[in-house]
Amino acid sequence: MDRINKVQNDYVRPEDSSFSNRTNAIVTALFIVLSLIVFLPILLVFIVSFSSEQSVTAVGYSFFPEAFSLDAYRYLFRSGTYLTRAFFNSLFITASGTVLGLLLMCPMAYALSRKEFRYRRQLLVFLMIPMLFSGGLVSSYMVNTQILHLKNDYLSLILPGLCSTWYILILRNYFQTSVPNSLIEAAKLDGCRHLQIFGFVVLPVAKPVVMTVTVFQMFAYWNSWYPSLLYLDSNHTELYPLQYVLVNMERSIEAITKDAQYMSGMQSANPPAMTIRMAMVVIVILPVMVLFPFFRRFLKTGMTVGAVKG
Amino acid sequence: MRPHRRKDIRKENRDLMLMSLPAMVWYILFCYLPLFGVAFAFKRFTPVPGKSLFVNLFANSKWVGLDNFSFLIRSSQMPQIIFNTLFYNLIFLVTGIVLPVFLAIVLTEIHGKHVSGMVQMVTVLPYFLSWVIVGYCLYGFLATNEGQVNHMLRFFGEGAVQWYQSPKYWRVILILTEIWKTTGYSMVIYMCAITAVDRSLYESATLDGAGFWDKVRYVTIPQLHPTISTIFILSVGSILASDFGLFYQVPLDSNSLQPVTQTLDVYVYKALMQQANFSYSAAASFLQSTVGCILLICANTVVKKIDKDSGL
Repeated sequence: MDRINKVQNDYVRPEDSSFSNRTNAIVTALFIVLSLIVFLPILLVFIVSFSSEQSVTAVGYSFFPEAFSLDAYRYLFRSGTYLTRAFFNSLFITASGTVLGLLLMCPMAYALSRKEFRYRRQLLVFLMIPMLFSGGLVSSYMVNTQILHLKNDYLSLILPGLCSTWYILILRNYFQTSVPNSLIEAAKLDGCRHLQIFGFVVLPVAKPVVMTVTVFQMFAYWNSWYPSLLYLDSNHTELYPLQYVLVNMERSIEAITKDAQYMSGMQSANPPAMTIRMAMVVIVILPVMVLFPFFRRFLKTGMTVGAVKG
Repeated sequence: MRPHRRKDIRKENRDLMLMSLPAMVWYILFCYLPLFGVAFAFKRFTPVPGKSLFVNLFANSKWVGLDNFSFLIRSSQMPQIIFNTLFYNLIFLVTGIVLPVFLAIVLTEIHGKHVSGMVQMVTVLPYFLSWVIVGYCLYGFLATNEGQVNHMLRFFGEGAVQWYQSPKYWRVILILTEIWKTTGYSMVIYMCAITAVDRSLYESATLDGAGFWDKVRYVTIPQLHPTISTIFILSVGSILASDFGLFYQVPLDSNSLQPVTQTLDVYVYKALMQQANFSYSAAASFLQSTVGCILLICANTVVKKIDKDSGL
């Protein structure tokens, strides 16, 4: 872990680089072009969502629309319940999945990090086996729907993705290597039980790694659509998270149109169907992009842990 | 330190066990309980409504041995599906290692620290978008009427292409999409591994008169070996697995693209959800799991034979 912390501050200084100034300029320019290319598809979605519907009919999904307009967003915000509901579903699933997942994973990671724990090895093996072998989609689907009765409710979207052996191991490694053992022994001498040590000593020290796992878990839940595909049927649109609304785009546009007509009380003009598609995509991407720069530090820690063994 | 008494140790173990209990319950329910479902692959599933899953699976369904597997392998679409899965995975194995390692090596050498940071941030972003979003980003380019590409084709006087109906382009499109989504992320992983390399190795290489490519060849690549082999082993272990989102959602589940987009995971999903063909679906995922597990262990052993320090 020390090594990793060092890594993050330790950029290559120009005098260490093998590039001459000229090579450096060329390579830098190439990389800037490359990142622009990578960004283009996302940019296109943004631009289209702000173009007017007539412009899309005339010049297609274009980087240079004939006219900009907020029609798509205006339409979506006015349409009301369907989309708002989906947005809050996504928020709720993300929040509860993240919190519950951490509540399960952190204490177990702590237990596994304690050398004095007798069943440490057995529990590690217990966690590793599912990584190697799983029952497959059919059996987990059947168990979830028929034995645990997870079908068409929020729990079916939250529970299946709660824990990941990978995250537990990352947490455990950090607890083991970066929390000084003397701190824990001192707390023990003061009469602390393990749950107290975990809550008051280890968690505050291990904030960076806990944040990392939090961020990864948040993105995973915000982006999840597979559980909805499996466990929600078309009679339960009120449970759809945003991602699944996008999967069912055609039907969603119908529902939103109906909503909008109901709200405005008249047969309003045709919805800007081409642009609201992209506006909906933007609504899903935007939170990720806004939070991304803030989370970057934590994401990087997480990725490093994946890379450097031990 | 106070010597621990026996009672203390027992109490400590109990506390720690209690702390792991919630997660253990989750693992039992969601990972271990489904393991018995492997039986689906060896049964002809004939459920009686109103009975519990266990009764239906073990008492009401007949054991058929390996019948499901032999039917599965003899079915007409299977060779295509297996070929697709292996084809894409072998290509991703190469593009997923060579490309990001190369980019990481070059990007680390760049002088400007802010440029490097910006490039990393932008190229990693697609990794944190879902396949659904990626699908729509692509749709912006490939939509038949409004798509950017068709628009340009028309502008240059070429005929428009029905992208979502033309399988011949999709191998390339899917490979490019995968590269777009994951290369940045792997690149950052390798960059972290590169910056963890002891700087003095490079200094002494410079003193010995090594140029850029010499240093890459004799210092960076050998130092990256553990990271690369870990990722290699994991990808070999998932050679029959594929990203469901990439092959189902990105082509918008288009039927005419099926010959090039259907992989084992898509088959497993469709057999279960669209055809309710439990036995075949289970047989396919059993095959996937078993082959993956065996290959993972083999790859690990081989890598360890070659280099003791590598491997999981």
